[in-house]
Amino acid sequence: MNKKLRFRFHRRAFAYPYMIFLLLFVVVPLVIILINAFLNDDKQLTFQNFVEFFSDTGGGLTVLGNSLIIGLVTTLICLVIGYPCAYLLAKYHASNRVLVLLFILPMWVNFLIRTLSTKALFMAMDVKLGMGTVMFGMVYNYLPYMILPLHTTLVSIDHSYIEAAEDLGADKLTVFLKTVLPLSLSGIISGITMTFIPAISTFAISEILSSSKIFLFGDAINMHFSKTTNSFGVGSVMSLVMLVLVVISNVIVNLTSKDEEVASVL
Amino acid sequence: MKRSVCILTCILLLLCVVLSVVACDREEPDRLVIYNWADYIFSEKLDEFKQYYKDLTGNSIEITYVTFDTNETMLTRLTQGDSRVDVVCPSEYAIQRLIESNMLVPLHYFDEELYVESFSEGVKALYEHNSDNIEQGIIDKVGDPETFGNLTIAETGETVSMVDYFVPYMYGTLGILYNKYDFIDMGIYDTEIMNKANWGIFFNDDGEGNILHEDLTGYILMKDSIRDSYAATIFYLKQRGMLDGLRNEDGVLYTDLSASQLINAVDDQLLKIVRETLVEQKKELFGYEVDFGKDDMLQGNALVDLAWSGDALFAVEESWDSTIVNEDGTKGDYRLAYYVPHGAGNVWFDGWVVPKTYNPDHMDAIKIFINWLNKPEIAAQNLLEIGYTSAVSPKALQDSDEAMQILMEAYDYDFDDEDDYDAFVREFFEFVDEDGESLDEIGQCNWRYPFMTALNEPNPDSPYDRSIGTLGVMRDFGENNKKVVTAWNYARSAGVNALPLLGWTALAVVISVGVLFAVIGVRRWKSHTVKIKS
Repeated sequence: MNKKLRFRFHRRAFAYPYMIFLLLFVVVPLVIILINAFLNDDKQLTFQNFVEFFSDTGGGLTVLGNSLIIGLVTTLICLVIGYPCAYLLAKYHASNRVLVLLFILPMWVNFLIRTLSTKALFMAMDVKLGMGTVMFGMVYNYLPYMILPLHTTLVSIDHSYIEAAEDLGADKLTVFLKTVLPLSLSGIISGITMTFIPAISTFAISEILSSSKIFLFGDAINMHFSKTTNSFGVGSVMSLVMLVLVVISNVIVNLTSKDEEVASVL
Repeated sequence: MKRSVCILTCILLLLCVVLSVVACDREEPDRLVIYNWADYIFSEKLDEFKQYYKDLTGNSIEITYVTFDTNETMLTRLTQGDSRVDVVCPSEYAIQRLIESNMLVPLHYFDEELYVESFSEGVKALYEHNSDNIEQGIIDKVGDPETFGNLTIAETGETVSMVDYFVPYMYGTLGILYNKYDFIDMGIYDTEIMNKANWGIFFNDDGEGNILHEDLTGYILMKDSIRDSYAATIFYLKQRGMLDGLRNEDGVLYTDLSASQLINAVDDQLLKIVRETLVEQKKELFGYEVDFGKDDMLQGNALVDLAWSGDALFAVEESWDSTIVNEDGTKGDYRLAYYVPHGAGNVWFDGWVVPKTYNPDHMDAIKIFINWLNKPEIAAQNLLEIGYTSAVSPKALQDSDEAMQILMEAYDYDFDDEDDYDAFVREFFEFVDEDGESLDEIGQCNWRYPFMTALNEPNPDSPYDRSIGTLGVMRDFGENNKKVVTAWNYARSAGVNALPLLGWTALAVVISVGVLFAVIGVRRWKSHTVKIKS
């Protein structure tokens, strides 16, 4: 038999099924979206979809702007709440694993069920649904995504650095600002990406917690694909915009954490 | 080695041939692929259909049942997918679109001879055609050239009527589900007040531009559906006289158009007004409901909801509250009620059609299945299960003892008791109490069977016109679809402004950073002074 034809079983072969999966269910759909964005109803090449999205009559940019702001604020609040949380968790890590479990526990309940119960609670407390409730839902749902990467980084910080800083006469605030904070930067950055990207694309939270009154980018994409027929074009343009945002935030992450060797989320 | 492979292959091939011959000897069952809305048939009855089919043709049948959740997903799958389904149950406008893009096979259900032509003599002898059971009102509405009587197939230029293509299944009206007891508390549960506000109830408008009641603000639910919201808004605009004096592209006054013509007259001018009205309405809304409208109504989160009659009836029946004390001392009443607006309204329907991608071998099964659904006892089961109004007429249901028994049993009436029978017919079909008064105190309307109270002529005794002519059928938006979607997107996105949120956050950040620096500064200064002192 010809030796060249023999199939050599390499360790790499284990990766092939997943590569094929990625190709079929990630790359191909992306290409379809890209093509759809440039097609009109009669399958001809057009830029009309872009014009429609970026023009004022459809309100597309308003929705995008609102989503970006809400995503930004959500991330910020998550960071402000999440950092001290992760810090304390890391501090008591060895002594109290149950505490860590308590923070992950909500993630074991289905996200839709959690959101629906949040709504029920708000209704029972006579809270009016709107921007406030949506923000609450966002922070509540994405907080674990902020805490977990932070927790991992904070736990892995070598305690001798802190001791060294203390030995050299730094007070607690300085130790934190000059030692812990810079060392946990990679965790902050991956926490931010893990919160920001899903926060700008969500649609279920705003739909349930504002009774669809707060209309976000995710809602708009959802509407163009599932509630109408021939507006796939504009929907695809919106998805592309979303994709560009994801890529931009990843580039920023990679740029700022060049030395930190933080693997990007995607 | 090569030879052994060859022999093995030969043996395998032989085995395949033998097996397939054996399989052919066994009798192949007939097949049918049904593509329907989720929860839109009494599925346990499908076994009964298999039996019925066997009795009729002598063959067994295997059914594949697939579901969809919106007309749009169904259309996408039919037009772009390669799904081979035999029979589909879309809504009227989706059927229109399918006919116009030449995707449906004519059925001619209302021409018995043509319909049964393909059946064998044996089947014909046993077959009973049920087209007479169908509510005539629907067929009239659909056959109307203003609606679907005059459709043009784009490819061939042929003019056809939808009546030849579809068999009605369920239908209903668009109306207002509201919380009766909250309306009583607000003092607006009153024939005159509500009929004056009419479509304005959705816009918290008493019919003259004043607010209907301040407590309604923030408690109104609109449907997250472009078509229904558009229809409701157009009717409201007409009722409030906001379309007076405006003309469409052909120079005809909008107010001169019939209900059907008006909801189908989608143009830039109307879209702009509708868009602005929807934006304006936003401050009155609790939100746009998708799936949770009924729950929000039952829990009292919202007080008004745009609803289809079937959903509304279901919600009303579920809102029974045994703690309410009535005027006559008896206990228990429905908390919710349904209001059918007058002047102009919308009637919709779903029906069975056959896409061109069907399997021609299944044609007899398709026809027998569709006809079977119109047997009164099957229709009765389906309407109980689904909650919508079946297209099988009340008369056909009443003529069948079997259907009546099923219906009465479900509502705890005794079929053998004559008084019970009369009471049931009165309440279920005629929608009146024992004194002949309508169960709908406000609209005097039959919620379940709109064609039963909707008279051909306006009722001379009533200032409120709820005749058949006021019920419009809504066509597909067609080439305007994109514009409507854009307008809807605009209306949905307007009124939400996240800028204040950003402002407050920026302020908070500035303050906290300031505080932080101040703290650090103070500490440095302190340690500095301590050092100097020491």
